[in-house]
Amino acid sequence: MKNPFRAFGDYEPNVRELPLDKMVKDKKEVMGKLLKGYARLLTEGKKDFVWLVQNETVERAYVAAKAAINGMQYDMGDIEEFCYSIEGVDDLPYKVTGPLGIYISALINYAKEDNITLNLVDLKMDISLIGFRLPKGKTLNINGDLGDFTGMGVNGGTLRVNGNTKNWTGAGMKSGTIEIKKGAGYHTGEWMTGGEISVADRVKGLGDSMYGRVYEKGNLIFPLG
Amino acid sequence: MDKDKRYQQQIFECHDFIEDNLYFNRPDLAVKERRFNSALLFGLLTVLNMGKQLIMGEPGLGKTTSAEYICSLLYQVPIGTVWGSEVSGHPEQTEEKIIGRPDLGELNRGNEEVVWSYFAQLPVKIVDEINRLPETKQSVILDGVDRGNWEYLNEMIINEEYSLFATANYQDMGTNSIIAPMVDRFDVIVESRHPGPNIAFLIGQKDAKENLLRHPVYEQAIKEVLGSKIPHEEKMERFDAICNHFGRFLFEKSGIKPLTRADRLSIKSEIQNMSFDLDSNAFIRMILSELSYCYAYGQKRSVEVCEEGCHYTGYMCYNVQNCASNRLPSSIKNYCQALAWLLGDEAVDLEHVRTIVPYTIAHRIQWKEEYLAQREMSIRNDPLQIHLGKEATKAIYHRYVEQSDHLKHALSVGNRCFNGEELEAVEGDHPIYAEIKKDMESAL
Amino acid sequence: MDRNEILKKIWPKVRRKHFFPEIPMPVIEECDDRVAIAMRNKQIILNPAFFDQLDGQISDEEVIEGLLDHGISHYTYCPWDFKTHLSIYTASKKVIKDKAMAKMATRIFTDVVADTHCVKEIDTPLPSIYRHLKKGVVENFTAALYQSIWGMDLRAKGHAQIPRNLKSLPYLAKKEWEESAKKFARAIESFLLDLKKAAEKSLSNQPGDAPGNENPTSFTICSHDLDSFSPEEIEAGLKEFAENVEDIEEFKESVGDILEELEDAGYPVMGRGKGKGLDADILYYMKLAESYHMPIKKLPMKKSGNLHPHSHLPWEIGSPVQEIDVWTSFGKIMPGITKVWERKEGEILGDMDSTPDCVLVIDSSASMINPREDLSYAVLGAGCACDAYLRNGARVGVYNFSDAMMGNKALLDYSDKRDEVYSVLCKYFSGGTALSLKDIAAFLEGSDKPDVFIITDMKITNLGNLINYLKKIDNRVTAVYIGESQHVARFKRSLSDEGNINIYAVDKKEDIPKIVLGKVREYMGSR
Repeated sequence: MKNPFRAFGDYEPNVRELPLDKMVKDKKEVMGKLLKGYARLLTEGKKDFVWLVQNETVERAYVAAKAAINGMQYDMGDIEEFCYSIEGVDDLPYKVTGPLGIYISALINYAKEDNITLNLVDLKMDISLIGFRLPKGKTLNINGDLGDFTGMGVNGGTLRVNGNTKNWTGAGMKSGTIEIKKGAGYHTGEWMTGGEISVADRVKGLGDSMYGRVYEKGNLIFPLG
Repeated sequence: MDKDKRYQQQIFECHDFIEDNLYFNRPDLAVKERRFNSALLFGLLTVLNMGKQLIMGEPGLGKTTSAEYICSLLYQVPIGTVWGSEVSGHPEQTEEKIIGRPDLGELNRGNEEVVWSYFAQLPVKIVDEINRLPETKQSVILDGVDRGNWEYLNEMIINEEYSLFATANYQDMGTNSIIAPMVDRFDVIVESRHPGPNIAFLIGQKDAKENLLRHPVYEQAIKEVLGSKIPHEEKMERFDAICNHFGRFLFEKSGIKPLTRADRLSIKSEIQNMSFDLDSNAFIRMILSELSYCYAYGQKRSVEVCEEGCHYTGYMCYNVQNCASNRLPSSIKNYCQALAWLLGDEAVDLEHVRTIVPYTIAHRIQWKEEYLAQREMSIRNDPLQIHLGKEATKAIYHRYVEQSDHLKHALSVGNRCFNGEELEAVEGDHPIYAEIKKDMESAL
Repeated sequence: MDRNEILKKIWPKVRRKHFFPEIPMPVIEECDDRVAIAMRNKQIILNPAFFDQLDGQISDEEVIEGLLDHGISHYTYCPWDFKTHLSIYTASKKVIKDKAMAKMATRIFTDVVADTHCVKEIDTPLPSIYRHLKKGVVENFTAALYQSIWGMDLRAKGHAQIPRNLKSLPYLAKKEWEESAKKFARAIESFLLDLKKAAEKSLSNQPGDAPGNENPTSFTICSHDLDSFSPEEIEAGLKEFAENVEDIEEFKESVGDILEELEDAGYPVMGRGKGKGLDADILYYMKLAESYHMPIKKLPMKKSGNLHPHSHLPWEIGSPVQEIDVWTSFGKIMPGITKVWERKEGEILGDMDSTPDCVLVIDSSASMINPREDLSYAVLGAGCACDAYLRNGARVGVYNFSDAMMGNKALLDYSDKRDEVYSVLCKYFSGGTALSLKDIAAFLEGSDKPDVFIITDMKITNLGNLINYLKKIDNRVTAVYIGESQHVARFKRSLSDEGNINIYAVDKKEDIPKIVLGKVREYMGSR
């Protein structure tokens, strides 16, 4: 058969590389790894993650999340993009906000930046458990609303939420600060052993067995008197 | 224009003369910063590369006359001879009037001899209202023009040089349509348009300029030569000699230097040597792939309709009903080469192709009804067929611009594969990549 | 050399680089705005004042070539067409709710894509322009971004502050533009907000500034916007956009924002005067219905019944001799010479076809969808029918009703104005459902035996009266119902035997135009 492509024998492709090409490629790789890590977490915790928030389950999930992200290189921009990319995944388990929040919290706690800002305003879901065990020296700023158990077990870090949070905000918090720019739900501060929760708008209800301090609209509402 | 471009200059002078004096029109296409009237530009290209052009338009808008002027000047034939050679389309038209008839005197003496028509003998071939001819007669003409041979009884003459202009009214009542296989034989279709009220106002104000192209003495001389019994080749030599006289007459009278036969043959050879740059080459392949590819059934067939939801729904293959014929690439290439040559460019490039393609596909594509229905009322400047041809070309052109390098790379990989390298075909989201892959597979 | 001469010299080279775009020769002309390149309906205009804004280290040739590279890339690459422009704007607007800021984000995004395309794909002096440009805040921002993603020193300040997410967007992946535009908008929002605040502060001092350009000595590179498109492109783009949006809200959100600009760009929004009752909802239905064009009616042909000589055939020995044409046979009867006539039955034009006017009866009671909140099958279907009748030279009347007895009705007398018809179709009354048969009778008397097109869910209080009325008239009636119910069953049961009444159901969006057009098309062919 006659070669119909002969005219293209001398063609030299344009191979001009820009730094952008590498950055896009790296980004894709990082996102791929983050998604893969999360998929691993979901696979490993299949039974546990029929989500009842119990200390033990959350603990196991966090350990698994830490293992899943071990050795990953990423930054806060990647974390933010990960949050949005999960929204585009059709598989339901990916969106179960419990393990998702734990995974994101692990990413935040082990990120190289100490001061992290995530712009989640356009996220259609309210992720739970963000800020889990936020350690001392870390500041996490979230723009947007969050779900249940926001700032659970904060351990010396500073969590600022420019939006609302749902129930059990700051549950089991040990030390540090949680600032909510709008309102918080029921059981706020349940089982907290220390630290301070400050809610700029209404707190729907306080939790049980509390220590530490909770402010509502600038007024101390726990402990009272 | 430099010395080497004297032919081009000569042709542009003829073009300007027709535009200024004979065929009043508005420019309706732009190429390389020049504006042209499509009927006139394509008319010139048709003569230069011995093509076949279908001219459509409203009655009285110069379909035939544009072709007459172009032929008279570019073939240096007096316009009276051109008129005498025209075949007019009507159902009663006969082979005897189109091609030739028996010499009745000889027939009565029991001898078979053919008296050939001007139409069969001359390089100028104009058929007026071809769609009013029955299909059998359309076929007689197009067969003859395809091969350049005209046969009657047991005799034959061969045209070495010719081009065909056929006119047609929009396909409406009272005419036979030109059937698809027949229409495919035309290289290009153009519309002879209304020039607008202001230019139209000028028509008839000047002296009959076409008188410039008349020469009763030479017309009579040609008539005698064509009617004589000498061998065809000798006839043509004498005919050319008279035409050269007429050419000199025109030059003296109006300063216009028409093309001689030698000029035309030399131009034809220059045109055939025009090369295609890589972009134009790849772009033509992309066009052909969209007009012939079918993912579901291997290729387009007018009897098969592909289903909705095909991966290639966004491409033209989804909107067309029929498959591009093998005449299409020839038409595109010949006219692109002629245009690039005329404009004095070094090689055929994307712009030449983009200009030519709509006029080569407009009459050949059978669009799906839904596609047509959605577009027939769109605001436009052209008749629907040409408008859709332009829109299709524009869409494919856009796809080409987006992936020019990728496609050229895929084609170069194809070449390396044919040279013995074991390579995977370059993947891409266009039918052309699937076609390249198929060819690479057959190279292995 | 004179700049115009340079432009003339450079233009063919630039065209070739960009694969010969179909745009006219650019011009150098004074502009009021402080932009380097203005683009109006495909005409690129270079602002001579811009040349003075450069530091003198770059030649006029480079400036012209670079600016043309930028401008042309908007036409040949991003956004390319109006629909893409609108999609990018919609994506930005989803993130940045403020209209002006979303427009700004769209402009910067398309600039970044177009510039990056040039730098990656062709040889361009664009980086030189950015290097030597006196930069305003926006130009500094983009130049800083370019420094990172192009890897060149463009003398921008503060490039470390560019959000990292902006540096890794796949700007050259066309399929991801909408997603990228969202991410871009998200990352740039705070920057734009600061810019807006600064602009508001200085607005009183610098009223003539280009948007976002708070530095009075700086220039914006280009002003690619709606007026860069021709009205035909806008027309086609709107139609495509209407087909592709998720819902009417999305269409309204984006197109509603730009209706006035569309008019300024020369697009005749519904053929009305500037600013008079422009309505994105109506435009949505008009554009969507256009996607269901039906072929225009052709005059019917019929056989005349008479045979006439059509063409010649060679006569063969044994063939009858009555049909021989003596003239073309040269008086001879011999095979090969003699010709016979082949006769064909002629075709003549049938009776002049005409399409009757049509009255569209549309139910807009509470049980029907509000066309301004969600895609209404009823309005779309009636719109398709309206288009079909208007295109065939007929007129359309509208009777839009909910509780007509209580005055909840809108009537439009037979009209050939499409926007008038759609305006009445899009009215939504909510409330109960009863129609006034007197009103319908008046419509039927107002024209010569008009067709009737009813679209409803049949939950009509006086359904019985309607059924009886329809039984009495012999106009052609197309009744389209939405959803099954006992009312529908009753309607069908009562009228299914009437030859002049056709009843159709609609379950999904795709059904309605097909059904409607199928019926109307049948009508068009039958008279």
